Amino acid sequence: MSVRVQDMSPLPTVANLDDEGLAQYEATYTSRFKIWAEVLERNVENIHRGSYSLHWMNTDKANWGKRAKPSSRGMTYTDINRIRGYGDVPDKAEWFNFAPRGSVREPYRHEMPVIEEYTVVDKGELWADNIITLYEEAKARQWNATRDIAWDELEALPDDLEKATCQLCTFLTEIEFAAGDFPAKWMYRIPQDFLEVKSFLATQIMDEARHQEVFRKRAIAGGGLLHAAPGFEWALTSILNAPTHTMGTFLLNLLGEGLVLSIFRSGEMIAKTHVDKEIFRRCLQDEARHVSYGVLEFKNYLDTHPNRAAAEEQMHRFCDIGEQVVLSAFVEPALIEPMAILLGGGLKKIDQGMDGVAHMWRMFIGEYLQRCKAAGFDRSARCTIPTEFPWGAAA
Amino acid sequence: MSAVREDQRETLAFPDSGWFEALARLMNTNRARQEQLGYIDCSVVFTITDGSADRLPRHFQVTFEEFSAVDVREVDAAAAVQADFALEASLATWRAMIESIAAGGGRPALDQSLNYLSHMGTPITLVAPDPIRSDLYYRYNQSLQEFVNASCAFDTEFPLAR
Repeated sequence: MSVRVQDMSPLPTVANLDDEGLAQYEATYTSRFKIWAEVLERNVENIHRGSYSLHWMNTDKANWGKRAKPSSRGMTYTDINRIRGYGDVPDKAEWFNFAPRGSVREPYRHEMPVIEEYTVVDKGELWADNIITLYEEAKARQWNATRDIAWDELEALPDDLEKATCQLCTFLTEIEFAAGDFPAKWMYRIPQDFLEVKSFLATQIMDEARHQEVFRKRAIAGGGLLHAAPGFEWALTSILNAPTHTMGTFLLNLLGEGLVLSIFRSGEMIAKTHVDKEIFRRCLQDEARHVSYGVLEFKNYLDTHPNRAAAEEQMHRFCDIGEQVVLSAFVEPALIEPMAILLGGGLKKIDQGMDGVAHMWRMFIGEYLQRCKAAGFDRSARCTIPTEFPWGAAA
Repeated sequence: MSAVREDQRETLAFPDSGWFEALARLMNTNRARQEQLGYIDCSVVFTITDGSADRLPRHFQVTFEEFSAVDVREVDAAAAVQADFALEASLATWRAMIESIAAGGGRPALDQSLNYLSHMGTPITLVAPDPIRSDLYYRYNQSLQEFVNASCAFDTEFPLAR
């Protein structure tokens, strides 16, 4: 929709926005919330009286005394969750503040704030049985895009291959921050009692930042970033706008990252330098963790849903549109053509490369449907993405 | 990797348990590198589809835990399917990869990496009972690549070369 410039009201100045926001903050903590002031007053009085409380030394209601022991890997969440009182992940979160799971918190509930943004309260909407394994693995397998890639060994490629590589990297740069924004958006909605999930999502955000970084660096080291594309943007927006955490995780981790994992594997295969191979190999490892979370999170969602048939039908409905919007990224010429040039070995062999793209397409879709099936969701009859690459189908 | 004089280099036959045991030893003595790469927790079967004298498959299972290869053994077909995943290829494919790694001093040619050879399903085929376990191959790909890259530390002979 176009709007005539002269009809638009001017944007508020930064100073006005700051004033408005600050006024709202002041009102919140002076008029709306009172308890914090009572807590402050009480504690200040104690300090003025020189009076100790020492209530925090009372272990009557604490899970106190049994010390966690590290396993061979060090002290993992699994190790501390074995201690009674700490590993009980609730089916439905009831604590909407920062009070740690397993601490003595009940006596203070009435004086504690409620974080209204914590809206993903069902374990079924976020848990995956491999979450702790994935978190530990993610920490152990971090790498550094500045130092772990032998940038000084990067060789110049013929112009067509360099442009294709840089265009592929431009695409990957464009998508990676959305893959970080999605878990960031939902991490903020997840209560602290699901600390294992929040921890894993934090690693996913770090992974995506590194991927964005490494592909940006690769492109700029090879000539520069090339073209962004509307199809990429719409696909990414559809992920960010997914109505629930599970739906968005399905679209991002299972479908989107499953496809990107295939692109990374293809990238390693078609890389024309050892530097590029290493970049793709490192990235595909990270991506596979995200995919693994997506599959088992979705499986957990379906397995624990009180009305599985209804949940599946709702997911089918979501996929009918979600698959199509995500598809808009994967038919962009700014993605398919550089892939074909790299697969074929040059611009003159782009037609041969398109045969390779068709083969990969078949493989991508097959893997997507297998992952759905592994989660207990048979999408094969309803998948809206063609199983065969429709290149030249109308010719 | 410590320098080894040419006349002192060990020669190991492929396919054979001893060849995979040597890789496991090299991995385990180079723990610092494994700690950089991160945990690897999976059981992998390397299948040479025509690896026996009468051209029948031979399967070598390597079990990885944390930063180590903790077990190496030749297994039969029934046991092989219990592994998280298998990488299946002909002797000629494995030989070309191993020779490429040796020629590159521990780095295979661009078209001889594990992922390159397996991505299209041929000449190496990735076999796993489910997608979660096939994804382990991707999650640990760099570690697995470096596991086989270590074969440059010794000479490999192929008694069954055809």
